[in-house]
Amino acid sequence: MTAVLDRPPVVPRLHRARTRWAWGLGALAVVIWSLAGAGAFAGDVVNPAGTGQFGRFASAALSPALDGAFLRVLADSVLVTVAYAALGAALAVLLGAAGAVAVARTTWGRRRLGWTLSRGALAVPRGLHEAVWGLLLVNLLGLDPWVGVLAIGVPYGAVTAKVFADLLDEVPRSGYSALLAAGASRTTAALYGLLPPASGGLLSYSFYRLECAVRSAVVLGLIGAGGLGYQLLLSFSSLRWEQVWSCVYALALLCLLADVGGRAVRRRVAAPRSSGDRLRRDPALTTAVLGSLAGVVWSWWYLAISPATLVSDRTGEQLRYVLAAAWPPDVDGPLLSAVAAAAVDTVQMSVIAIAVATVGAVLLAGVAARPARASAGRRLAGTVVRLALLLLRAVPPPVWALVLLFVLLPGVLPGALALGVYTLGVLGRLAAEATEELDPRPRAALTAMGAGPVGGWLYGVLPAATGPVLAFALYRWEVAIRDTVLVGLLGAGGLGALLASRVAAFDWGAVTTVLVALVLLTAAVDLVSARARSALR
Amino acid sequence: MSSRRAVRSGGFGEHALNRRGFLAGSAAVLAAGLAACSRDSPVSSSGGSTGSRGSLTVGAIPDQDPEVLQRLYSTLADSMSAALDLDVEYQPVTDYGAAVSLFRTGDLDLVWFGGLTGVQARLQTPGAEPIAQRDIDESFTSVFIVNTGTGLTPADDLGPLGDLRFTYGSETSTSGRLMPAFFLSEQGVDPQGFPGGPGFSGSHDATISLVASGSYQAGVLNEQVWRSRVEDGTVDPAAVVQYARTPEYHDYHWLLSPEAVERLGPDLPERLLEYFTGLPAGDEVLELFGAGAFIPTEASNYDQIEAVGRDLGLIS
Repeated sequence: MTAVLDRPPVVPRLHRARTRWAWGLGALAVVIWSLAGAGAFAGDVVNPAGTGQFGRFASAALSPALDGAFLRVLADSVLVTVAYAALGAALAVLLGAAGAVAVARTTWGRRRLGWTLSRGALAVPRGLHEAVWGLLLVNLLGLDPWVGVLAIGVPYGAVTAKVFADLLDEVPRSGYSALLAAGASRTTAALYGLLPPASGGLLSYSFYRLECAVRSAVVLGLIGAGGLGYQLLLSFSSLRWEQVWSCVYALALLCLLADVGGRAVRRRVAAPRSSGDRLRRDPALTTAVLGSLAGVVWSWWYLAISPATLVSDRTGEQLRYVLAAAWPPDVDGPLLSAVAAAAVDTVQMSVIAIAVATVGAVLLAGVAARPARASAGRRLAGTVVRLALLLLRAVPPPVWALVLLFVLLPGVLPGALALGVYTLGVLGRLAAEATEELDPRPRAALTAMGAGPVGGWLYGVLPAATGPVLAFALYRWEVAIRDTVLVGLLGAGGLGALLASRVAAFDWGAVTTVLVALVLLTAAVDLVSARARSALR
Repeated sequence: MSSRRAVRSGGFGEHALNRRGFLAGSAAVLAAGLAACSRDSPVSSSGGSTGSRGSLTVGAIPDQDPEVLQRLYSTLADSMSAALDLDVEYQPVTDYGAAVSLFRTGDLDLVWFGGLTGVQARLQTPGAEPIAQRDIDESFTSVFIVNTGTGLTPADDLGPLGDLRFTYGSETSTSGRLMPAFFLSEQGVDPQGFPGGPGFSGSHDATISLVASGSYQAGVLNEQVWRSRVEDGTVDPAAVVQYARTPEYHDYHWLLSPEAVERLGPDLPERLLEYFTGLPAGDEVLELFGAGAFIPTEASNYDQIEAVGRDLGLIS
């Protein structure tokens, strides 16, 4: 994650920046508008009678299904999920590497139009959620493992291309310029002058993608691509909460392994062990890279992927069938007004979700961060909060949406809170990591002068942590917009609900319209979020 | 030799080893690729079977306890395989939309469809024919349920439901959406009305729980699921009660693709019908499908569903 964003400079600012105030007030207004739109100020939103149903879900957490047959089913699904994640991430890195060349500023130089267009082209694969890609690909490829791999690899590839290009553009250019001046071709100069200094960041980010791919692989199961998510959906549809929790625990364990492994690699890249001999490779990193490559090979074998499927006559025929049905997009009045109304719901849902997650993350980050020195009680509290955050992001948003619907009245709010709770799981962890990386001295100084823990946190930690946490939150906002599709697919409103109903009716023309709206909305949010982030710097 | 080349290319001795490692790695990838050709994927059927017997790919998404059938699918495949002398492969699918598309593309030969999804699949796959239905499917019914907090007592008039927060089941469910919407509109209740718009809980069990919680004040689901949940005690009669029952309609059926008939001979529909109707009472397969017996069916049984589907914009 650290590779994604520029860390704001830690220069103390003693004046209030006017643009930041404008952004802050604007954000507040949008949050209030969203809450009002979701009906949060208009009477009852809570349904206290539903606590019993919610309790059934919660109490099943203590008694997950553990019978032998079910655990065997789970073990097989875990393997499928891991294989999807590994291949999806590998494909994303390959596509990202190729795409980075196409969208890097270095490639385009001063030709701004070409650069803008190529960046814009990335918005299409990036704007659609993995689950949407999965739905579309099932129609082209049928029941083939390629569906899961491509559904992760294509949107992730586009994100990776953007990040890889930024990394390449941002490394110091002295070596590159020297090679060019010495008469090397641009390719050679890039290979020897840009790639080596960027390799750490590239590697770090690749492992971060692998971590995310595990969660996405589960989401794909929800639309029928097999694996852990599929088992979760089956148990979820008859509300067998004990089995649902077993799936959630298996998923949490997978996420934990991916987090710990990915974090170890990223730490190692950020702070390499010096060995005197500068040419020696870091054995831990070499093992991680070779291990991941072996994992990719194993996944290829395990899923029995056949490249021939992609170019078979049948695939071409299906592509023609779907394209013929999906083009031209439906543009009749009622549909367009439905799309506009749903888009407003989607924006409000994502804004509430991200606001809830940000507030929660700021409050929890202090406890969740691993302090350098701490008492046993403080350590225990930290572990509990970190595990809770892990569970929040291991329960898929659609499940949150249903259980929150037990205790909230129907509308945009249950879906928004479901996304908020899920995003809190992700954002809380990022915020904790950001807090760990802060300069510890201000707080130490306050404590030395007799400040209590709360005062020390308020004046020593919070001001410095706000910047990075807000930057992460803005970045996640774009992700949340796409995730609204996921809760929408199960009926919580917004463009996702509209998409689900049009797909169910096989109304491909309308599906195209909704997809175009989704891509445009995501691109717009991306722009606003980028502007806001640059105002924060 | 290799180290000499390495020196010439300006590298260190260490690189030779890496190159060997790289070659070994590539060989492993290649070997795996080859091995993959002879392996069945855990997530999909491998396509056409090479055995001397023909092969049939079967899919089903039952709306009651889907996890039981999906995890015990070998029961159905083994039983069919033995009776029909075919290689029967069961393909787990979760999503009706996906099942319809897979039926059209020929990935699935024989599918257990709901009334509406069966019509959608038949319209997209010319020549597909309905084979069999369960005894209960020719007189299927849905029940409207209400939260006890509404104070409503069982009645035939659906009018009062129009003012309640109301949820259907899954969007394309025949018994949880399509036919109830039709009967509501027959009694003058706008099926897309309701305060705040109707919800889609996603499953029959979720409908019961949501109405019991009071988040939705009323809902509708398949009577078979309702009965079995009342019998096994999952329904709290103090929280949710039956309000009304719909008239009868046709629902689930087995649909056979024309491709399979072409491949396995024109007598395939007959052989399948014979197999399904010949299952002895109490057979494991019948129990998995919650049926007393399978009986024949025909396309005209679903004409009403098609008409309603067109009215609701679910068939275009």
